[in-house]
Amino acid sequence: MTGLDVRGLRRSYGDVPVLQGLDLTVPAGALTAVVGPSGCGKTTLLRLVAGFDRPGAGTVTIDGRAVTGPGVLVAPERRRIGYVTQDGTLFPHLTVARNITFGLPRRERRARHRVAELLELVGLDPAHADRRPDELSGGQQQRVALARALAPRPALVLLDEPFSSLDTELRASTRRAVVDALAAAGTTTVLVTHDQAEALSLAGRVAVMRDGIVVQEGPPAELYRRPGDRGVAAFLGEIVELPARLVEPGSRNGATVLVRPEQLTLTAGGDAGMIAEVLDVAFYGPYAEVRARTTEGTVVRARCPGHLVPEPGARVGISVTGAVL
Amino acid sequence: MTRAVAGAGIRRPPLRHPLRLAAALAVAALTLLPLGYVVAGVVAAGPEGVVALVWRPRVGELLRNTVTLVLLGTTACVVLGTGAAWLVERTSLPGRALWTGLMAAPLAVPAFVNSVGWYALFPGFDGLDAAVAVTTLSYFPLVYLPVAAVLRGIDPAFEELGRSLGLGPWRVVARVVLPQLRPALLGGALLVGLHLLAEFGALQSLRFDTFTTAIYDQFQSTFDGAGATMLAGVLVLLCLLLLAGEAGLAGRARISRVGSGVARRAAPHRLGAATLPAVIALSALAVAALGVPLVSLASWLVTSTSTAFPLAELAGTAATSLGLGALGALATCLLALPVAWLAVRCRGRLAILVERATYIGNSLPGIVVALALITVGIRVVPALYQSTAMLVAAYAVLFMPRAMVSLRAALAQIPPELDDVGRSLGVGPAGVLARVSVPLIARGIGAGGALVFLAVVTELTSTLLLAPIGTETLATRFWSESSELHYGAAAPSALLMIVLSAPAAWLLTRRAAR
Amino acid sequence: MRPARRHLLTAAVAAAVLSLAACGSGATPAAAPSSTPAGTRAADTTLVLYNAQHEEVGKAWADAFTAKTGVKVDIRKGSDFDLANQIIAEGAASPADVFITENSPAMSLVSSRGLFAPVDAATKAQVPAQYSSSKGDWVGVAARSTVFVYNSATLTEAQLPKSIMDLAKPEWKDRFGISPSGADFQAIVSAVYLTQGDAAGAAWLQGIKANAKIYRGNSTIMKAANAGEVPGGVIYHYYWYGDQADGGANSKATKLEFFGNQDPGAFLSVSGGGVLASSKHGAQAQQFLAFMTGAEGQKILSDGKALEYSVGAGVAPNKALKPLAELQAPTVDINALNGPKIVAEMQRVGLL
Repeated sequence: MTGLDVRGLRRSYGDVPVLQGLDLTVPAGALTAVVGPSGCGKTTLLRLVAGFDRPGAGTVTIDGRAVTGPGVLVAPERRRIGYVTQDGTLFPHLTVARNITFGLPRRERRARHRVAELLELVGLDPAHADRRPDELSGGQQQRVALARALAPRPALVLLDEPFSSLDTELRASTRRAVVDALAAAGTTTVLVTHDQAEALSLAGRVAVMRDGIVVQEGPPAELYRRPGDRGVAAFLGEIVELPARLVEPGSRNGATVLVRPEQLTLTAGGDAGMIAEVLDVAFYGPYAEVRARTTEGTVVRARCPGHLVPEPGARVGISVTGAVL
Repeated sequence: MTRAVAGAGIRRPPLRHPLRLAAALAVAALTLLPLGYVVAGVVAAGPEGVVALVWRPRVGELLRNTVTLVLLGTTACVVLGTGAAWLVERTSLPGRALWTGLMAAPLAVPAFVNSVGWYALFPGFDGLDAAVAVTTLSYFPLVYLPVAAVLRGIDPAFEELGRSLGLGPWRVVARVVLPQLRPALLGGALLVGLHLLAEFGALQSLRFDTFTTAIYDQFQSTFDGAGATMLAGVLVLLCLLLLAGEAGLAGRARISRVGSGVARRAAPHRLGAATLPAVIALSALAVAALGVPLVSLASWLVTSTSTAFPLAELAGTAATSLGLGALGALATCLLALPVAWLAVRCRGRLAILVERATYIGNSLPGIVVALALITVGIRVVPALYQSTAMLVAAYAVLFMPRAMVSLRAALAQIPPELDDVGRSLGVGPAGVLARVSVPLIARGIGAGGALVFLAVVTELTSTLLLAPIGTETLATRFWSESSELHYGAAAPSALLMIVLSAPAAWLLTRRAAR
Repeated sequence: MRPARRHLLTAAVAAAVLSLAACGSGATPAAAPSSTPAGTRAADTTLVLYNAQHEEVGKAWADAFTAKTGVKVDIRKGSDFDLANQIIAEGAASPADVFITENSPAMSLVSSRGLFAPVDAATKAQVPAQYSSSKGDWVGVAARSTVFVYNSATLTEAQLPKSIMDLAKPEWKDRFGISPSGADFQAIVSAVYLTQGDAAGAAWLQGIKANAKIYRGNSTIMKAANAGEVPGGVIYHYYWYGDQADGGANSKATKLEFFGNQDPGAFLSVSGGGVLASSKHGAQAQQFLAFMTGAEGQKILSDGKALEYSVGAGVAPNKALKPLAELQAPTVDINALNGPKIVAEMQRVGLL
């Protein structure tokens, strides 16, 4: 079943086109990440899906119900969506509990157990219910924001760069808590982010946006392993260009292939397929990144385990494992 | 910083809010009634009539007087207000709480009471000097309060950053502090300028003529629609100039948010040997603005044979003033809300026009506003004529900017995402307004309401012409007693006005203290 | 919003509504004494008086009238032209029944728009014709004399102006005050134009503009003279008498000079009263006007603190005042006072 279906969405600001006929299908009950560089139109897409803005053309369907389309523009409050912004945007004048129950009908707002349930769902101690937003850390604020978005049991949750304003440590734990909560609630979710690692690690499916359209969409591993073009490949992770020769019969043309740095294995001896001289090494602890120049003059990056780091100037062999992109 | 980057890419197209737009337009239409009245008068006079009435030496004299008063008075208010705010908020001056109260308290003394007080103690004190001095003493808190609030909230990190980049202390003030003060300074200066354009009561005893006093003279001499409306026309032009000037100077400055979420307080500048002169300067200011009128009132009570305290009457009159003040404040804030919202959230040419339109009534004399409402009201809504509702509408037209300035600033502090989040949670626009926006701008509403209340309590002309028959306020009572030279009988009304106004002035300092 | 704040707001609104309700219901506490027998026909009528006269004068008349007839009177106060302008703006829908002023130009203005009803013949007969409208649509209710107030330490009697015309001479430059705005000075200028002719009047007005110090209000001129800020000034007599009666704080050092001698400066201004044509209670309104100009009403005036001259029903003015007969006022037809022309003249020389 389809949770969210977007067809032919267009939006311009003045003469500047931002969305240029975007299509996107999000399966129900799963988390789909929309990833793309800054300015590619991700936030505009979210605002159009939420109904905060009206498109120039195109349709938006949530759970089979057309909410934006020719002659149709359902108000945001009637779309059954949850919306979590970059910094949570908690109502500063309300306590945590009253923030969470904001979207509930009046008679349900007093139900303390619902607040406790939701706080637990997002991994927060129910004792936080009576705190004010400014007494919470950034990560806690984001969790409360998610609890608030989930409280009215929305058909679709929209997350707009929800982790980008958190520092590294909080980010990891908050991500985990949010994804777990969303999985437990079984809500269809769209996560917008410019961080490809976040998209790949959290989402069941990833859509890559560029210049106002979705250029490729699929499970993260597949996208990473089989990007549709060089741009997608480069956006989702580092790439290494290697000169190659097609070995199919009848062909002698030279070509370039793309591989991921982690597909290159360094060997101490010089008996591998390629010989290179180490230029410099960046040591990260568990692993190190090595820059080396091959005998053919190409500079490549490769990763090696932290306990097997070559010295700069050493000659190493490089072999490729796995299929090229 | 990521926030700024992300935010820069998103433009907020105005969602269509037909109801709020309609409400804002209706409010603007109400506040433009007096302008329509003036324009109709100008049109009726015809081009030759206009030339004959406008192109004469007297108008030149009035123009010179009015422009001089507005320029000098506004400058003096800006200098005094900012200086006092800086001394109180950012230096080691002792007794901060006391000074905070004393610097706002002049708002509780009606300008005309202040001027009558000065004139009574110093009979030769008149003309331009006196007009500038007395109006400055009455209105400098309109600059002091917003500037003090910003000074208290400014993140000292900006100043430290300025120093670290090689700027001396004065250049830090000029290049770091003043730009942050700009919206508050300009807002305060605009209010002062508008008040000076429309000031009548304070000037009449100081022998200084401006367009507003001349308009009153015209109306006091005949039914001079033409002569008075022509002068009012020139006055409106001056007001438009002021509004355009403020908008031009403010530029995009008002969009910036100042001082949200500052954790650290700035370390006060040490005054050292300058402490005593600073204390003397502020004391002199307080004595001039508060002491002189109070001493005058006291001397009237003591020396006049007409002194009387008819308690029941005074209590009833004070209750009427209080009630009208509260209703006026409430109604004006309610009416200002959709316009302020439009101006902050859907900033475009229409929004700016609508917002600016609501300032014009404040620059026109009360009699022009009252006559416009009489002319229209008695024909369109005869049932409301000389009802409390119509009087309150006149107050709203006259004092809208006082509410607008506060509401606009408060609304600008609320991130628009709060609205979006509210809507996404299934709450409609009206619900979001009631449950999110209004509670968050409660302080702004309180401040705007307090400013309107202070103005309503001292309003005279519209009250005389539009109030339900038999209504007596402290201001009308003071007017009739003092115009019959019964200063002793007038003094209790003036004192009660000050007593009623004190809590509102106090409320304003509470806001500044945040 | 915290509960405490919400309660405060509720309380404030409630207070506002209550106090307004209170002032609405008690709008005319003095005019409706509880002892008035209810149920009579007269008591069902409420007249609306637009009172530009001194508050206490209008109120004293209204209270006495109510006590006598049971007809209630609601009072709106204001200055002459505030209320005249208001009546004209209101037109036929005006809620006013009766209008009384301090000076005649505002009456002439309302009369010129045809908004007054003819005054009952009996009422007209109570007031000497020179104090009433020749159109018969308003009558004089009181009078006031132009005077020269001076600081007796600064000016000796010999140095005083012999005529108001002298004040246009160069030697009086900056030595006297006038209050050119308002109906009062306009009436004085009109009297000069009428008695001296337009050319002499215009020359005089030019001289006044050059010489006079401008004040707003007669009382401020008197205070200035008292303080020695200006040697003298043109005012109406009762400001001085009133202040003397109130302790003399603003007039101790001053004396009055009556120009007399049929000088235009001895001009006697008339306060008028009229019934609005749009009044729905014409009979009672006429009755009220008759009361004010009759023996009872005029006696209230002459016994009161206002110290204006009574003009109707042969009632003698207050004994403290210089007798009317000694004023030697010039003969001026108050109907001929031409407001618009005088205002244009004052605008031309720049006094307005």
